Amino acid sequence: MTDLTPANRHFFAFDLDSTEGEQAGLNGYTIEQLSDYLDRDRMPADPGIDDSPDCEIALRGLERLRRAQRSLLAQDLERESRRDDSWVSSILNNITLEAHAGREIPLAHPSPIARLVVTEGAVRGMLRETGDRMQNVFVGRCVLVGDVSVPGAPISIRVDVTVFPGENIPRLADQLRDAMYATLSKYTELVVVAIDITVRDLHSLPDASADEQEK
Amino acid sequence: MTADVSSFDQLDGVVRGVPGVAALYPAGSMVATVLAATLDAVAQGATAAPLVHIEQRADGIRVTARIGIGAAESSSDVSGRVHDAIAAHLEQSGSPPVVQIVVIVASVWLNV
Repeated sequence: MTDLTPANRHFFAFDLDSTEGEQAGLNGYTIEQLSDYLDRDRMPADPGIDDSPDCEIALRGLERLRRAQRSLLAQDLERESRRDDSWVSSILNNITLEAHAGREIPLAHPSPIARLVVTEGAVRGMLRETGDRMQNVFVGRCVLVGDVSVPGAPISIRVDVTVFPGENIPRLADQLRDAMYATLSKYTELVVVAIDITVRDLHSLPDASADEQEK
Repeated sequence: MTADVSSFDQLDGVVRGVPGVAALYPAGSMVATVLAATLDAVAQGATAAPLVHIEQRADGIRVTARIGIGAAESSSDVSGRVHDAIAAHLEQSGSPPVVQIVVIVASVWLNV
């Protein structure tokens, strides 16, 4: 059972640097190698990548990131992106860090010989995908705080996001929180007492009048 | 002792056939999987190593399946069905006692 908190919780800032130290998994591959693999349309097939759920989660994150970048270009934000693409680097780092399997989160089953789990990496991957599917938001870091391996133990989720133009941020955060609660309640049995969202990067449309003045 | 038992090869098909399973990943260690695949290739041609892992223990066998699931159903429902399908298959095939069936949901495909 998932214990849901109200959707209108406030924002809580958190220190990303103080979260648990996580090491990249990716089955021995680097994010650059996975990016090259996508460039080649996953050809020739590499079983070391294709058979790894960690790599699959990272590849899906890379694909969503690329779509977001293409969307930015389509919105004439190329100049802005060139000025500061640190958000892309940050998200790439997080995809690398968070795709690995991590801890095992139990799922109930009546059989005494059953041990059913969903991995922390799968949960982070689906939370990231849940956010990325929304308009004008891209999930940066996603951390599960608490002992997820103990059934019924209260945990919280910390998420940082990049927001693109045209959004009311509090409303967007509420929508993101609701969507993440729905995902968590469907695919896990975690008791989630809070989803804390920090807007870490804001991207605004370039000031066209300023550009005109520069000319 | 750990052993991949050839008579359990059908388990891959059993797991893949469970509704809601979108992917089946190697459940053993990567080193063991690569080694098994290499040995199989040398011995029998390019036969793929089983993905569902069987560990032989003194008191019975421990089965591990690592899966990806689609978006339509919950992790609990799909992993529970995978457990039940493995248990039923092993019971029908007269396998040694099963001491544990581990099902790991390693990825969720929200767009599937």
